[in-house]
Amino acid sequence: MHRLTGLSQRLRSALRRGAIEAELDEEIRLHLDLETERNVALGMAPAEARRRALAAFGGVEATKEAHRDGRGTRWLADLAADTRHALRNLRRRPVFALTAIATLALGIGANTTIFSAVEAVVLRPLPYADPGRLVMLWEENPEKDWHEQLVAPANALDWKDRVAAFADVALYNTGIGNATLTGEGPPRLLRRDRVTGNFFSVLGVAAELGRTLRPDETWGSGTHVAVLSHHAWLEHFGGDTAVVGRTVQLEGEPVQIVGVMPERFEAPLPDVDLWGPFEWKQSDRSQIWFRRAHWPRAVARLRPGVTLEQANAELQVVVRQLQHEYPETNSVMGAGFTPLHRFLVGDARRPLLVLLAAVSLLLAIACANVGNLLLVQAAGRERETALRLALGAGRSRIIRQALAESLVLSAIGGAVGIGLGMGGTRLLAALQPEGMLRVAHIGFDARVLMYVLLVTFVSGIAFGIAPALWSGRRAPGDAIKEGGRGGDAGGTGRRWAERLVVAEVGLAVLLTLGAGLLVRSFLRLQQVNAGFEAEGVLTAAIALPEATYDSVRGPVFFDQLVEQVRGVPGVTNAALASAIPLTGATWTSDFVIAGRPASEFGSEVMHRMVSPDYFDVMRVPLLSGRRFTAEDRAGAPPVTLINDQLARQYFRGTSPVGQRITFDRVPDSTSKWYTIVGVVGSERQRELAAEPRIEAYFPVAQNPGNYRILVARTAGDPAVLGPSIRRVVAGLDPSLAIASLRTMREVRTVASARDRFLTTLMLLFAVVGVVLAVVGVYGVMAQLAQRRSHEMGIRLALGAEPSAVRWLVVRHGLALVGIGLAAGVLVAAAATRSLAALLYQIPPADPATFVAVPLILAAAGLAAAWVPAAHASRVDPATTLRSD
Amino acid sequence: MANPTPADVLRGTLDLLILKTLTLAPMHGWGISQRIQQFSRGVLDVNQGSLYPALQRLGHRGLITSEWQVTEHNRRARYYALTPRGREALHEETASWRRYVSAVEWILATS
Repeated sequence: MHRLTGLSQRLRSALRRGAIEAELDEEIRLHLDLETERNVALGMAPAEARRRALAAFGGVEATKEAHRDGRGTRWLADLAADTRHALRNLRRRPVFALTAIATLALGIGANTTIFSAVEAVVLRPLPYADPGRLVMLWEENPEKDWHEQLVAPANALDWKDRVAAFADVALYNTGIGNATLTGEGPPRLLRRDRVTGNFFSVLGVAAELGRTLRPDETWGSGTHVAVLSHHAWLEHFGGDTAVVGRTVQLEGEPVQIVGVMPERFEAPLPDVDLWGPFEWKQSDRSQIWFRRAHWPRAVARLRPGVTLEQANAELQVVVRQLQHEYPETNSVMGAGFTPLHRFLVGDARRPLLVLLAAVSLLLAIACANVGNLLLVQAAGRERETALRLALGAGRSRIIRQALAESLVLSAIGGAVGIGLGMGGTRLLAALQPEGMLRVAHIGFDARVLMYVLLVTFVSGIAFGIAPALWSGRRAPGDAIKEGGRGGDAGGTGRRWAERLVVAEVGLAVLLTLGAGLLVRSFLRLQQVNAGFEAEGVLTAAIALPEATYDSVRGPVFFDQLVEQVRGVPGVTNAALASAIPLTGATWTSDFVIAGRPASEFGSEVMHRMVSPDYFDVMRVPLLSGRRFTAEDRAGAPPVTLINDQLARQYFRGTSPVGQRITFDRVPDSTSKWYTIVGVVGSERQRELAAEPRIEAYFPVAQNPGNYRILVARTAGDPAVLGPSIRRVVAGLDPSLAIASLRTMREVRTVASARDRFLTTLMLLFAVVGVVLAVVGVYGVMAQLAQRRSHEMGIRLALGAEPSAVRWLVVRHGLALVGIGLAAGVLVAAAATRSLAALLYQIPPADPATFVAVPLILAAAGLAAAWVPAAHASRVDPATTLRSD
Repeated sequence: MANPTPADVLRGTLDLLILKTLTLAPMHGWGISQRIQQFSRGVLDVNQGSLYPALQRLGHRGLITSEWQVTEHNRRARYYALTPRGREALHEETASWRRYVSAVEWILATS
């Protein structure tokens, strides 16, 4: 009971601090008044009476203080007082305060930005129902070094039926199709993904409007349906709810819109406008191609309670069954799965974690810098601190006060940093290379905020602890005795400052080595000969609707297009291709070369249709034989060109020109044989960092298709010809939309976007880190030189050469930098191994980087030590001696 | 000086004296200090700096309560009064004080 009263009083005390103070004042005033009156009544003069009353009371402030202690809110009052004290101190030194806050805000802001991306991409669960039970199924062929490959639909459907651990298996196409929307204003090209009918139910996401697809809709029934993405619904249908149930014209076919997905829905494949069913035929399941061709992805939902191990064991049983049942297609194919989140995040995970490590190093350097500033401040105040200690202030109180100051600094720095981080987050989301950060909605949430608060608090403690402990530990006598010379030339303060320099240099070299490796790798990637000349080429992808363009009208259109584009001023040549390099948008097959046993078949040859001038436009060299000509038209003997890679791998020693090839694994009487008419240089088809794969080219004239990419070589800047190309297309068919219009240079840039993104950020962080570290080294050296200026003066007075004095300071600085460099390089030698997967043709222990970076930093460190040293050598001996 | 200066109230006994004083009537702080001096016939002088913390301490322990009232001279003052718990505590502390005093007395007497 009384505990409760006490507690409530304490609480009241804390809440009503001002009121209680006022009451206490009044009580004491009354006491003094009454005492004074009594003294007067005893015959004293009023002034004397008052004096006696005060004396008898024994210290009004002490009483108040004791009273406050008794209230049990001492710590709260102390906290407030410490904070006020800290703020007052900081206001007195605005330059110091602003420098410290700006440094911290930079470090915390960078951390916030990168962490928000890590949170969104790596940590946040996928936006599906019970996402932990979703797995990505894949097929593999260890013999051919294929891992986590696309699946054959027939296999995936068998897994779905036979693996009891899978509640359901859904498939989606990895190549997004272009579908022209007509009859809704100007024609527009929508991106359509084909999926199985259970796609949305496996992910566990319901439609926002209408319904999603039904499982039975996987199979074609003659009617076509589609579900819109929220974005496409807004952009192409103005967010009209009446669109659900309506039938629209896609590719000239009637398609009924059955639903709209919610805004937060993100399919595993980004940037899809609408999802339609595969519309397979049930009879497809027994077709060999349905089991041989690998093109969709398959996502399975595990039954509740089933572990990954159990599911995998069951899957392996089915895989073995299929190997026996379909030896022709499945004998070497294995299968497995990866948790969906890990699979989708895979590529982005490492760069993000590397960046997070980099910003953490940056923040550590920033903390060291601010810690050093605080140390200088503490040194400047050491007489004040010593006096307070001598007068009986508690050591813990002094340490607390110093910590309060650093926490106030970090709190302000953190607040500004959050602001910077929000801006940075938006910038990051805008700058991220397409597809790297799966989630476009990177932003602030509770977890990011928690992280920032933690980082802010930890950094406050980290940079505050050394100066705080140091101020509290000093024996009062020393500092006072050292007196006017600002003493402590060899004391603990100096040792702390030296440690900070070593740490800063070490962290900076670690950060810079990482950045240096990535820069070297990026530069090497830029120099890669991709097999074609990107400069001066414009590309325009065009998809003709099947309904209006058949196999006769399509080629006519494309021929006219090429002819008219050639006539555009500034265009020197134009050609067509079914795919352009570095985009990987093509397919592969097996093949057999005539005259060789069927067991010697080859696999995974890429296919591309090109018009005769393609190699001219792209400047792909002809190595032997001839190019396609106008004679290679429909009806003429089928011909093919192969790339150098294929020639070297499969025609060692013999000339491929004139040999025949077919693209079946087991040739029979229906197989179509092609004559190899020439060998061309190899283009890198998928990415800059990947070696070219084997490829065969076919004349477009012999292989008509409705999707072609126009490539035009131009005399000047290709980008300015975009509008002319659009005019030509609109002139031929105003209902056509150009799917994408970009220069080959842009394509190449996009191909190295991830590396550019990572390298740019790392370089930025490294530069900031080095600048901070150099400033830190300069600050410490200047301060040490300043402290030794007395000694320098005496040395100079005794006849020492200024250069010798200068060397004294420089040597000291270089020793510190050297230790830091050695430590940083040692740590980096181990740490950069984690970068290996991100480096192109650069080993993680690249000697050039490991020599150049420390040298550059050593030079920067030398400069930072030189300036204070030069100052020290110019000390006027007379001044020094007089000041004694 | 001929007059012996009043001795300070022994640490620890101030609480007891305050409780005892308040058995008469509710009083404000100055009144308590005056009353202790009077009762001790001028021998004991309350260190007034420790009076208010002691009052607060007793309040926290629930032995006294306080209330703002107006004095006979029409001034606002905080009056302290004994609670029933305070009365019990006074009995216990008085008994223990007496035991203590007689123990000290015995020791002093044996020599």
